Amino acid sequence: MPESMDAIILKDVVKSFRKRTIRGEYTTFKSELLRWLRGKRQSRDASLITALRGINLTVPMGKTVGIIGRNGSGKSTLLKLITGIYTPTSGDLRINGRISALLDLGAGFHPDFSGRENILINGIILGMTRAEVRARMDEIIAFSELGEFIDEPVRTYSSGMYMRLAFAVATHVDPDILIIDEILAVGDEHFSKKSLAKMMDFKRQGKTIVLVTHDLSTVERWCDLAAWIDGGYIRRVGKPSEVTAEYREAISLAEAQSAAFTPPALTEGGGALPQVPSESLPAEGPVRIHRVQLLDARGESLEVLSPEEGLEVRADFSVEGPCEDVDFHVRLQAADGRTLYETSTRREAVVLSRMPNQGVLRFVVERLGALGGDYSLVVSARASKGESSGRCAFRVVSATEEEGVFRPPHRWLVEPGADSQAGVPFEPGTSPRVEVG
Amino acid sequence: MIRLVRELYQYRGLLISLVQRELKARYRGSFLGFLWTFLNPTLHMLVYVLLFTVVMRQNIPNFPFFMFVGLLPWIWFSTSVGGGASAISDRRDLLTKVRFPAQVLPTSVVVTNLCNFVLSLPLMLVLGMAYGQWPTWHVVLFPVVVLIQLTFTLALTYILAAINVTFRDLQHIVSNLLTLWFFATPVLYPLSTIQDESARSLMLALNPMVSLMTSYQAIFYEHRLPDAGPLMTLAAVSVVLLWGASSIFESRREEFAESI
Repeated sequence: MPESMDAIILKDVVKSFRKRTIRGEYTTFKSELLRWLRGKRQSRDASLITALRGINLTVPMGKTVGIIGRNGSGKSTLLKLITGIYTPTSGDLRINGRISALLDLGAGFHPDFSGRENILINGIILGMTRAEVRARMDEIIAFSELGEFIDEPVRTYSSGMYMRLAFAVATHVDPDILIIDEILAVGDEHFSKKSLAKMMDFKRQGKTIVLVTHDLSTVERWCDLAAWIDGGYIRRVGKPSEVTAEYREAISLAEAQSAAFTPPALTEGGGALPQVPSESLPAEGPVRIHRVQLLDARGESLEVLSPEEGLEVRADFSVEGPCEDVDFHVRLQAADGRTLYETSTRREAVVLSRMPNQGVLRFVVERLGALGGDYSLVVSARASKGESSGRCAFRVVSATEEEGVFRPPHRWLVEPGADSQAGVPFEPGTSPRVEVG
Repeated sequence: MIRLVRELYQYRGLLISLVQRELKARYRGSFLGFLWTFLNPTLHMLVYVLLFTVVMRQNIPNFPFFMFVGLLPWIWFSTSVGGGASAISDRRDLLTKVRFPAQVLPTSVVVTNLCNFVLSLPLMLVLGMAYGQWPTWHVVLFPVVVLIQLTFTLALTYILAAINVTFRDLQHIVSNLLTLWFFATPVLYPLSTIQDESARSLMLALNPMVSLMTSYQAIFYEHRLPDAGPLMTLAAVSVVLLWGASSIFESRREEFAESI
């Protein structure tokens, strides 16, 4: 039964708002009168804003899903739909399990009440029963680390204490599905570590977590899946590292094109970010790149490597029609879309004579020399008639903490100077020597 | 309506804690604290007593007690309706962040004020005893009258709260209409002071609060059973009104989170 395996199923979910709720045009006597004078019918449809244009998303039970996207792309609207605060304009939405949403910390907190009293109210508002809150009271107080302040009125708290208390209550609700909107970064270093540990606890207990955040590294580290909302649609769902890499790339591409960063919901056509050239793009040139793969020295597929390792990029392509002027490009990009290295067959004067109908392009790197981080490789075939490209993401894990862009091949030597009178003679060959690699 | 009530029952924990919160919060931080529950209606009454026994003399025996009998349920009604109108539009913080049935909010306003009303009843009884008016067996009907008033108040509050989300002027209109309504209801004067028979029956027909107030006065002040006819009519009207109010409320509640 597939239904019982999925915690959240969204099918073609559309959500529109009346414009006044976004632009603050409230219904007043004046506005009603004006609208009536202008003819009531005309503006009804025009004043609709579609935040979500058709969302299809399935969240399997027990998975942690990170939702990313620009400001105003509809992430919070999506969460409110899942939570049930909003109802979809059209489409189908199914939830299996008790849901708890942490959309806002401290809902219903009263400044004049003590921390203890507010725990009770806030806990009940978040869906616990009175007995459940009472049973967890000590645990919550301990987690909040407020100590004696717990019996002081909340208005005397610092904002950090307030957030800690609110977060403590929120995480002690015991749901099947947890919805979190951008609140993991609460408090100081110590407390946010504790919060993350709490999240891990939820994960281990097999709870489904849906998380909205702008912190892409959180998504990469904690989530099993990432969903990227753009222009009212789910642009991509998949492995967090791949989705975030493409997202970063699209952002930097948009910045490079100096696209106006207006709220997507207010933009004609949804205001999606520019398309990153990718395998999903229809190719128009004579040479089509079908698949880009990363292989290690033994010819096995590769996703993680160390800086000293070599790799081989393998791109399957097919050729249709004449293609005398084809030029293969290989580009290495950092996670933020910066080009670290780019070269092409033409630049290196590689002769491409007699192209086969089907073929494999191999780009062999003896030693990558990149530092730890996320990268992607883009292979493109350019011809005067068009371009086709494919990409793949990978990660470099380094045991050494270095800084910069690349790691030149190197070793360390310490030797006595020519006029050294030092008492400790250095024997050639026994000089202290450190090799990194 | 059944769904509305069932959800209220499911979320009774939330309702109770919201009511508790309001009751506790109202006088939190003030020096006299909970005593204000009694002081407020007393001072309110004293103002009218001053007005009607010194400035405009009325020939009603035990006037302060008479007035108190009607004033307390009126305060319950008017604070509920006045506060209930903005119950949803003022709680943006909750409605857009947490999922719960929206009817909990206006209901909590009405129930909070009901609690205040019930808490100030001993004061009324003590005042009556001071005038030698001990409660008689007629008080068994008191809960019935309270229940009818509760139904009527809830219905009115649901309608106002639902409409006020999109039409914010309503809360101001309501607070002004309540003043007019107060003087059109026999709280400060007995219904019998209106000489004209037809005017009296017209008032009784148009103003549901008239039969409620006269019922309270009958039970506590006149020590007799309230008139069954108008009271039963009002009970039936209130149930129908509540049914209508809950369908208005349910048809609009999906918009609440977006509109406020």
